[in-house]
Amino acid sequence: MTFTLKSAATGALMACAVAVGADVAGVAPADAKTLRMAYDADPVSLDPQEQLSGGTLEMAHMVFDPLVRFTQDMAFEPRLAESWERIDDTTMRFHLREGVTFHSGNPFTAEDVVFTFNRMKKSPDFKGLFEPFEAAKAIDDYTVDLITTEPYPLVLNMATYIFPMDKEFYTGTDENGKPKDIIIKHGDAFATSHESGTGPFVVTAREQGVRVEFTRFADYWDTESPGNVTEIIFTPIKEDPTRVASLLSGGVDYIKPVPPNDLERLGNDPNVNLVTMGGTRIITLQMNQKRVEAFKDPRVRQAIVYAINNAGIVDKIMKGFGTVAGQQSAPGMVGYNPDLTPRYDLAKAKALMKEAGYEDGFSVTMMTPNNRYVNDAKIAEAVAAMLARINIKVDLTTLPKAQYWPEFDVRAADIMMIGWHADTEDSANYTEFLTMTPNADTGFGQYNAGNYSNPKVDEMILQSQTMVDLEARAALLQDVERILYDDAAFVPLHWQNLSWAARKGVHIEDIVNVMDFPYLGDLVIDD
Amino acid sequence: MSRLSAVLGSDFVYRFRRDPIAIVAFAVTAAFMLAALLAPVLSPMNPHDPAQLDIMNSEIPPVWQSGGDPAFLLGTDDQGRDMLSAILYGLRISITIGIFAVMVQMALGIVIGLMSGYLGGKVDAFFMRLADIQLAMSTLMLAIVALAVFKAAFGAELFSDMAIIMLVLVIGIAEWPQYARTIRASVLAERKKEYVDAARVIGLSAPTIMRRHILPNTLSPLLVISTVQVANAIISEAALSFLGLGMPVTMPSLGSLISAGFAYIFSGSWWITTIPSIVLIVLILSINLLGDWLRDVLNPRLYKG
Repeated sequence: MTFTLKSAATGALMACAVAVGADVAGVAPADAKTLRMAYDADPVSLDPQEQLSGGTLEMAHMVFDPLVRFTQDMAFEPRLAESWERIDDTTMRFHLREGVTFHSGNPFTAEDVVFTFNRMKKSPDFKGLFEPFEAAKAIDDYTVDLITTEPYPLVLNMATYIFPMDKEFYTGTDENGKPKDIIIKHGDAFATSHESGTGPFVVTAREQGVRVEFTRFADYWDTESPGNVTEIIFTPIKEDPTRVASLLSGGVDYIKPVPPNDLERLGNDPNVNLVTMGGTRIITLQMNQKRVEAFKDPRVRQAIVYAINNAGIVDKIMKGFGTVAGQQSAPGMVGYNPDLTPRYDLAKAKALMKEAGYEDGFSVTMMTPNNRYVNDAKIAEAVAAMLARINIKVDLTTLPKAQYWPEFDVRAADIMMIGWHADTEDSANYTEFLTMTPNADTGFGQYNAGNYSNPKVDEMILQSQTMVDLEARAALLQDVERILYDDAAFVPLHWQNLSWAARKGVHIEDIVNVMDFPYLGDLVIDD
Repeated sequence: MSRLSAVLGSDFVYRFRRDPIAIVAFAVTAAFMLAALLAPVLSPMNPHDPAQLDIMNSEIPPVWQSGGDPAFLLGTDDQGRDMLSAILYGLRISITIGIFAVMVQMALGIVIGLMSGYLGGKVDAFFMRLADIQLAMSTLMLAIVALAVFKAAFGAELFSDMAIIMLVLVIGIAEWPQYARTIRASVLAERKKEYVDAARVIGLSAPTIMRRHILPNTLSPLLVISTVQVANAIISEAALSFLGLGMPVTMPSLGSLISAGFAYIFSGSWWITTIPSIVLIVLILSINLLGDWLRDVLNPRLYKG
């Protein structure tokens, strides 16, 4: 009786989703198409600038539109910016699309871009990305200049992160007397629960952690988009087997991610459209030097890296669905240094611990999410077992991501897990956020829960931001990886592959990409 | 010697030897108890020691399947934990929690039941209404609420250290009305009898009469209910662990083993969840059969002569 409690609850939830979906399909016109989708978690906020995370950006691509975006083959595609030109070394001019309206009905103009840019510069998570930028300036209603302090090679890459927000809608104060444009991380702000973007979908109902409903925006500017989805019902399903089972049973049409142990089964199923891709998201563990004295000793950090069999994790837990990593930059990125191979050598790890005077080990706490990265909790459990072999006793806590991120922000444990996908598709981005000295003013090191600090690395990364000689820049970034590797600044585990699955007839293969931001506005569902 | 032969010649033993189901159920239960007791001796490895796990040994099938490894008779789980060892240690934890939880229930139930039945009046009304209220809510619901609140208030770290104690207390406290009501019913039947009056007349105090004179006469229903309650407590523990509110994965009970293996049931590694499930089912079944048999033997109304 009791064993089915959890699955019965999920089942009931799915039954509701199905029932509601069927209802809507019954009353809507014949061409109405509902997509019922299940991810492992739903976005924590509707504010595209509150948290720099995959979940937020996925939401942003549904509800908002960027100035430009990457296509599947990593070329730039005009969105709200129709065209752009370089005015001088530090200025890029964007010509904006005319006749675009926000969900609120307000027209979209250059003022909205300036408002969005300025708000971004205040966001604790995003300001690090926009540190090289000086200002956004509206030239006329449909022209805006982005000005950098120095010549900056990645202006267009950053424009993919500018999702114009409705200035009029987000100006003023809400019923609690707080400004509507305020950014409160993990808090209750106006923008957390209200949206007005230009994107293909409008949020019509949202219950955090239970269900989000989207309806296609009637006045969406992109009338040439092939997308024919009129409604999306998004149900987070944390349990991997339940998510897969609901796709197979027809309870949902589209799921992400697919657990590695089910890839083979779904791939062989003729009714399932499985799409996989090699990814560049690095999964790492950070060892907090402020909390644990022993982590200040590079030999201890090295010992931990040597003790963790990340090849075994990829092989056994990820079922080969990932690439073993020895550094941050994935193969093919400019900073990738082919000499830095994964290190696993238990004898060496023990020797290093002995050398550092920690032969008898010590106790640490470790915290990881359990629904953010593929198999995150299982990886953490395996790591805890591996560290036991060098006498480091790990007290492990795994949390759902909605509770994990607030803990991460206060650096609540000695070892914390973080996965990172380079926002700019450039190597320097990893270091800027994960390993540069934390600095609240610039936003660098915002996700450096290890408190690793090396002035040399900081200096090299700042230098790379203005280098236009790409070959010298690549060499510099590879040197950075070398320093981090020798210092064992963090524990690299693997680059996580990407996976999506849908029922046949839902053409997800055309809308997914290596950033893992599915462009659901362009999704086509067959009749 | 004569006492031993008296026991062996008793009606109880006679009926036990005549009933094959009782013999099998007793043998299986005893075997499980023994295995749990001797787990450290019988297990090839200590599944609670993370240093003995090797990820490269993960998801090895049981020895009779192709790809099996003789070092892991029942295969391994997703972390490379030997299933046989994990089940033996898990059995130990499950049975420990079951027995201690029943002891808590029994202690509370006997005290409350004796007082209600013997003293009657307001005391009786108070405790029995309390029992009614508690019986109106399911054990599991109470346990889930209590454990979830504890986990949220004191953090998952402390929770995993205290898991056994918490489970014993929660399951113990949630089920006391079963005992209290049974004892109270027996006490009500006994207190009117002459021997109780006699004890009262010679001036014995109420606690003494309850303890020395009435309690021994209520023992047979107590024995029956205890066997059933041990099985119930083990099921409750397994259910709570399955829901993630019981034993942590690093110290798995049968329920947490079943829960951990659940993710693999569709993808081929059936043994991680199936084998502990079978062990749990067989254990519960044999305890329940034993309980049924006891009830039949000790209930004079069902006595067939």
